[in-house]
Amino acid sequence: MGQTALVGDTQPVLVTPEPVVTVRDICKRYRKQIAVEGVDLTIQPGEIYGLIGPDGAGKSSLMKAIAGVLTFDRGQLEVFGERIDSEAAAERVKGRIGFMPQGLGLNLYAELSVEENIDFFAALREVPPELLAERKHKLLTMTRLENFLDRPMKQLSGGMKQKLGLICTLIHEPKLVILDEPTTGVDPVSRRDFWAILADLLRERGITALVSTAYMDEAARFHRLSLIYAGRVLAEGEPDQIRQQAPGSLIEIKVEPQIEALRRLKVKFPQTEAVGAVIRVFVAVASTEQATEQVKAVLDGLAIDDIHGIETELEDAFVALLRQRHLADEQAAANPQIPVTTAAPTPIGGEIAIEAAGLSREFGDFRAVDNVSFKVMSGEIFGLLGANGAGKTTVIKMLTGILPPSGGSGQVAGANMHSASQAIKERIGYVSQAFSLYQDMTVLENIRLYARIYAVPRKQINQRTEWVIEMAGLAGVENRLAGKLSMGIRQRLALGCALVHRPQVLFLDEPTSGVDPIGRRRFWDILMQMARVEKVAILVTTHNMGEAEHCDHLALMHAGQIITDATPEQMKLSLQRDAGELLEIVTDQPLMALQIVEQAGFEGAALFGQRIHLLAKDPEQAGRQIAALLAQKQITLLGIHPRIPSIEDVFVYRIMAREQEARSR
Amino acid sequence: MSRFSKTTHHAVYRWWSRMVAMTGKELRQLSRDYLLVGAVLFLFTLDVMMAGGVKMDLNMATMMVHDADHSQASRELIYRFQPPYFKFGGEILNQKEGIELLDQGKALVVLDIPPRFQHDLIQGKPTSVQLQVDTGNTVLGTLAASYGGQIIGRYGFDIALQRMNITDAGLASVPMLADSHRVWYNPNQKDAWFMPISELLTIITVLAMMLPAAAAVREKERGTIEQLLVSPLTPTQIMLPKVVAMTLVILLGTALSLGLILRGVFDVPMKGSIPLFFAVTALYTFAMSGLGLFISTVSRNLAQATMLIIMVMMPIILLSGAWTPPEAMPPGIRQAMYLSPLYYYIEMAYGILLKGAGLKLLWDSLLGLTLIGSAVFGFGVWRFRRQFS
Repeated sequence: MGQTALVGDTQPVLVTPEPVVTVRDICKRYRKQIAVEGVDLTIQPGEIYGLIGPDGAGKSSLMKAIAGVLTFDRGQLEVFGERIDSEAAAERVKGRIGFMPQGLGLNLYAELSVEENIDFFAALREVPPELLAERKHKLLTMTRLENFLDRPMKQLSGGMKQKLGLICTLIHEPKLVILDEPTTGVDPVSRRDFWAILADLLRERGITALVSTAYMDEAARFHRLSLIYAGRVLAEGEPDQIRQQAPGSLIEIKVEPQIEALRRLKVKFPQTEAVGAVIRVFVAVASTEQATEQVKAVLDGLAIDDIHGIETELEDAFVALLRQRHLADEQAAANPQIPVTTAAPTPIGGEIAIEAAGLSREFGDFRAVDNVSFKVMSGEIFGLLGANGAGKTTVIKMLTGILPPSGGSGQVAGANMHSASQAIKERIGYVSQAFSLYQDMTVLENIRLYARIYAVPRKQINQRTEWVIEMAGLAGVENRLAGKLSMGIRQRLALGCALVHRPQVLFLDEPTSGVDPIGRRRFWDILMQMARVEKVAILVTTHNMGEAEHCDHLALMHAGQIITDATPEQMKLSLQRDAGELLEIVTDQPLMALQIVEQAGFEGAALFGQRIHLLAKDPEQAGRQIAALLAQKQITLLGIHPRIPSIEDVFVYRIMAREQEARSR
Repeated sequence: MSRFSKTTHHAVYRWWSRMVAMTGKELRQLSRDYLLVGAVLFLFTLDVMMAGGVKMDLNMATMMVHDADHSQASRELIYRFQPPYFKFGGEILNQKEGIELLDQGKALVVLDIPPRFQHDLIQGKPTSVQLQVDTGNTVLGTLAASYGGQIIGRYGFDIALQRMNITDAGLASVPMLADSHRVWYNPNQKDAWFMPISELLTIITVLAMMLPAAAAVREKERGTIEQLLVSPLTPTQIMLPKVVAMTLVILLGTALSLGLILRGVFDVPMKGSIPLFFAVTALYTFAMSGLGLFISTVSRNLAQATMLIIMVMMPIILLSGAWTPPEAMPPGIRQAMYLSPLYYYIEMAYGILLKGAGLKLLWDSLLGLTLIGSAVFGFGVWRFRRQFS
């Protein structure tokens, strides 16, 4: 146990033991493509070190090099004090490393059962049988997979696959685990589980973890991290230190009319985005008062409902740092305005654009969608939020007319989904999760093909094509093959093709997964414009909780049912009403402190890097109780303050409550 | 009334416009797949040309000789085993060595000439030689045995005539049965006519299944089918352009093959109507593409589709008479041949290209292909539509 205390609860920054990984000026190229360009970093024992960056930033290459499965062109790498300069050297440290590659369950065997997968990896790593039995039991209990031993891996949910992947990576008790985007595509509850397991392992086994992610909001989970972009490190350090590298204030404004305010603000402040009914502006001035004044000056004459400063997030800093280095999408910066269609089509369906009434769908015995009802108005952005397999895609498939429902009915764009599915298809646009345009055709060819599929009158094809190119910022890449474009541009092309026939309803199935923050902001700018100006009704599914905040209205889906259905603000308020305030606790020994508050029975206790989050009905009293508990164990309480809950907090709380209810019944 | 016709006209225009756009898309995608274009070009040109070089005849078969006599007569006999059928491979010292060479496949034929061969002939005594033949490959073995027998028989006949002092002039008075046959349609029995056509028909069969199946499976693999399904396209509008586009490609390849290789290189006469041949080919391609579409509905990826196509293709070719003539098939299998669309296509293709036959002679094959083709295509279309509902 002495080791546990030493490795688990010591501030890694304060002591200077031998680093686990030292990277000096590493470069890696694939032919002419630069993957990693002069990266330096040091990982200390016992820390969770994060690599954050969009797809294609070079995270995977860097991790593979450290795991010893990818050679690099230049630079120095030391792992466990061993200089990695040959295959033989890499072999010497591999026994102490566990590496989980990117992709849900990609390192696992789909046909094998949970137990067979674990046994296979144990045999590969020559784990003795008695040790295997003990570890297997422990890890399976921890991941709550013990009841699924005989289930083939391919029948597990995304979150369960990822947990099984983690077990297989840990079965030989590595000292260093390298996890490449372990939480991408995993639902928030499994994501929380995942981080909790990692924290437990840190506490019990004293392992070190290197974890990459594309989600900026996961930054708080790390002790230290590097922001990676285009193969370079943009910033390095603790999450707060990085935020301070791009000082500024985030101002949240409620103002009418929103679109006019957005237009004005964008000219002066490039980091402006509409988030549902409010606008958030990042002003590169540390003082909130000054920043507020600057924003007010720009909005002179508009009806400001509410204006206040909120805490900046890592994503704001990331975008600001990119801009400072002129790495941002210059074209997007130069032309922030989106063209308005000359004459907007008149909505056929009146105010209600989409209506689902008691929709259900069964596949054999399995009820994928269970009595789902909601309404989406013209000009509204409606978010359908849920984990993989919650039934979101099935709902969309029924509403778009490619899957007949087992029960219930629905209206889309004024047409009945039972009797007029062909009419629905002509009136809607659809952007799918994976890029589903033709990669071997050029941008222009794709747009024209879809214009003709949707029977855009011949005389209007040129005009509509021009509109799409301008709207989606595709000028200059018209004749490039779609497959050669970056993810962000591809998704804008997909959006353009979906809008080419001026639909009144737009369906988007996880449209921005894998798109970098700047690309995502640009994408949402367009959606906002479509909703506000052209009065398009937009139904978007996502499991990115940050993105959910952009929606006017949200519905949480779980196991085929809608759990709550409200605006984001209402959701947060009702969480505060039902479960209490969200408290953030800062201590000098977070792992020990977490154990204490968990034992004391606080709801939703979770570790975020060095901080602990929990829910408390009576914050004052909870604060006193926690202070007393921590004092007993000689843990110093450095701070305790309320936070505004995120949509993720709402989601996790609601689903856990639902599961508890189901268990007690 | 005019309003009705206007909306109908509009609907027809939209249907047509979508078909054209989708067919154009298929052709464009195919043209960007350089590997596939290369493979199609290769098959229609070089591969057909190579088939023309393949002969089903005995070609320089190695003959080893155990000559225990070493006389003028034995040398004369050995000399008669001539190229292009036979090649003298050398002498061996004993019979055991001959068996070994046959075992190792270094010789196809071993000729054993006994001692006192010439002596016996001169004496007028009957004598015999032994011909050992490797018939592992039945075609070559049978040919070698039969040619060898003919050569030896002819030699014996010549010796006998010589001994009886019958000269060429006197030969006319010997009662002999002359065997004379006349060869139709391929007067020189050129394999270089038969084989390339056979190969071309096989290639058309493979590609007619492969190209539409690949195009359909690729949409599944890359997820592009999803975008098409939510669009106003019907399953038929998704599927038919693939068949049309790939049929066009195959007809183009066939034209290339006919003009450049069959006519240009091998001088195949092409007696019949070329438009009829193309019409029949188009019909056949449509039928086989139905099978390709069916395969695309049950496979998840291109590898699976390819395996299935090979599986389906083998019986179709075996039962078609492309490699073995119908006359060589046992009764049960001979009836099964009527199920292979390729059987009818081969009948018509040879009929048109070599015999110059027209519809008057080929109507029954055309009817057969139409019936079996419609069934296959209809089945494929039905399955393709059903997978989306």
